[in-house]
Amino acid sequence: MKTIKIIALATIMTLLLGSCGDGIDDINELIVPINYEFVRDGASTVSFSGQTTRISMAAELASAMQDFSTSQEALLEMYANQSATGAEVNPFSDASLNASTKSVRSKVAASRDFFSSNTVEAAEIKADFESWIISQVTEVFPNREELATAGKAGQIADGSSVRYVNGKGLEYNQAVTKSLIGALMVDQMLNNYLSTAVLDEASNIEDNNNEVVASGKTYTNMEHKWDEAYGYIFGADGTDFTNPLATLGQDNFLNKYLSRVDNDTDFAGIASEIYEALKLGRAAIVAHDYDLRDEQISTLRANISKVVAVRAVYYLQQGKLAKERNDYGGAFHDFSEGFGFVYSLRFLRDAQSDEAYFSRSEVDSYLTQLTEGNGFWDVTSATLDSISEEIASRFDFTVEQAGS
Amino acid sequence: MKISIASICFFSLMVIAMSCDDNPGESTMLTDNFDRGQMLDFWADEIIIPSYTAYVSALENLDSEMTNFYADPNVDRLNNLRSTWLEAYLTWQDVSMFDIGRAEEISLRNFTNIYPSDVDLIHSNIERRDYNLELPSNFDAQGFPALDYLFFGLADSDIEIVEALTADDVESYVTDLVTRLSNLSKEVLTDWNSGFREEFIDNSGSSASAATDKLVNDFLFYYERNLRAAKVGIPAGVFSGTEQPNLVEGLYSQVYSRELFLRSFEAVQDFFEGQSYDGQQIGVSLRQYLDDIRTSNATDVDIAGLIITQWEEVDLAAAEVGDSFREQVIEDNSKMLALYDQLQAAVVPLKVDMLSALNIQVDFVDADGD
Repeated sequence: MKTIKIIALATIMTLLLGSCGDGIDDINELIVPINYEFVRDGASTVSFSGQTTRISMAAELASAMQDFSTSQEALLEMYANQSATGAEVNPFSDASLNASTKSVRSKVAASRDFFSSNTVEAAEIKADFESWIISQVTEVFPNREELATAGKAGQIADGSSVRYVNGKGLEYNQAVTKSLIGALMVDQMLNNYLSTAVLDEASNIEDNNNEVVASGKTYTNMEHKWDEAYGYIFGADGTDFTNPLATLGQDNFLNKYLSRVDNDTDFAGIASEIYEALKLGRAAIVAHDYDLRDEQISTLRANISKVVAVRAVYYLQQGKLAKERNDYGGAFHDFSEGFGFVYSLRFLRDAQSDEAYFSRSEVDSYLTQLTEGNGFWDVTSATLDSISEEIASRFDFTVEQAGS
Repeated sequence: MKISIASICFFSLMVIAMSCDDNPGESTMLTDNFDRGQMLDFWADEIIIPSYTAYVSALENLDSEMTNFYADPNVDRLNNLRSTWLEAYLTWQDVSMFDIGRAEEISLRNFTNIYPSDVDLIHSNIERRDYNLELPSNFDAQGFPALDYLFFGLADSDIEIVEALTADDVESYVTDLVTRLSNLSKEVLTDWNSGFREEFIDNSGSSASAATDKLVNDFLFYYERNLRAAKVGIPAGVFSGTEQPNLVEGLYSQVYSRELFLRSFEAVQDFFEGQSYDGQQIGVSLRQYLDDIRTSNATDVDIAGLIITQWEEVDLAAAEVGDSFREQVIEDNSKMLALYDQLQAAVVPLKVDMLSALNIQVDFVDADGD
């Protein structure tokens, strides 16, 4: 609490000092465009190709995890875009991804606010993904022609689909995909690019006020940071970047589940609220109105956190119902997705307190409850309900609203 | 929470109706004095068990015709084999919707009728010999669709098919597929005859796990997914936006897709109307249940009548399509789409109006798709 007060005081002082120095004359007229389009001297200032690239890399990794001919080495190279010794590799089928020096791994649990001085946890999280990838190859691939039973990896029917699970019923590919939504997309958005530590770094405010663009670019640094946040939710290949609500569901990550939550009548409109806040915040940067920008950051933290939390509860509840119907395959698929969304809770950011919604130990406790013993084979409805209730209690929705 | 507009309309109507009632303080639940146990009894003894008995016997005929064929393989015997295959496939349409008890536990429908078959997987199984037909990954390499491919699509001419079927590895695969279908059918029938019938009839309450609630859900699921979507909607491209003629039931035999559809639709109607399997009597079923609720509550809406009238439209639309759905999709898909529309038009009265009246909750959701 004390630190918060000090930070608050410092913020007020900064604002006071800022207003003494620069004067309010610097605030430009606020122009909010209909689409996400911002222009300087006739050229677009919007750029987030790095986010598009990482989403595509994550997608290739997720699909390769279900291809039994893929080697462990190749999967790890897709995750890190380099070899175990750090050498240049070409693991992707898309040549432009091979040409890129970016990687998924480097941005997992890598936000400024949550992990820059928390590298022990960051390393553990990066390693969790590696262990799921390795276990897919060492536990699940060899048992692909076996029926899964409690304690034994193999295949299980989910309706007419086939799911490949470990001995606890977990699909590692789902663990990776859904956990990346938190560890990569949400963490980078809420705790990095929408962090004032990043937006206002070095001379960013002054440069933005004076429209000093980044070297060789059309955008100021601050504009670009904001766009990089935008790219993690609306930057998947195939999206109409300027009007993304028209093509929701273009990836298998944050964008897709934004679409799913938005389609639930209890949460209808959340996609538009997020899009409008991103657009208004970007317009506020152009107008040099940082208070307005920060209000949008609060809106974004609240709503994006809610998307992930709703989905975590949804899958735990759907899995519970399926298991009660003795539909184990269907239940395990739901629990596997739920596992990833629960893992993602760690990266959510409470707009009010400015802190994480869930601590590492809280999330670990939920995951342990889901996976102890024979995991999904054993987990009870009471356990699923208690985790669901705990998650929902941090937000303004009920288990019932999220769960159906 | 997903609430369809139709259900909102229905509930609003109910609320309005209630508020005009003499006793506005009463619960909004409809009066239900119907004896579900009697209905379950009729379902088990006059529809479900006789259907499975006929199915088991149709598969025994297929098995013995297969033995005849392999004793002296020739085109005549191939045609006999095909006839018994078709008869068994048609009889399957009578039992497919009863996905309850052992049938549900062993995923009977998935091991019996997932189409299209994965032809590459069938050939790779034949070559490797150590295939395991109990794996879900082999759903689409067995059952009637796989036999459809082997009996009709394995080569260009009947003479060549006879020859291909008699290769040692192919013969053992065909034998394994037929034996498995037969064993699965017997497992389910035996279960009904050795205790499950009583369990089913005694479970006559009204809750998510009650036999009526479960079987009515199975019936609706079957109507929506297996009849409306799989047999008609998917090949016609209703969901994908592109016509998919190669996704019809009975792809390789070609000419039986309409017959299979009609048999399935007939089974659905018979179940709803309480037509006994032997055709000799009309018993207690959903139609009577709905009529009973209507009488007890003096309501004007004739839900059963709406459903039956709509199904007459389905029959008219089905009369317009050819024997081969594949050809129909390619040549004039609008007739397939029209058939789909008529099937779809019965979904709301069935899934919303009927379930509300019978106070049954839907226990399946639209698949997430991922």
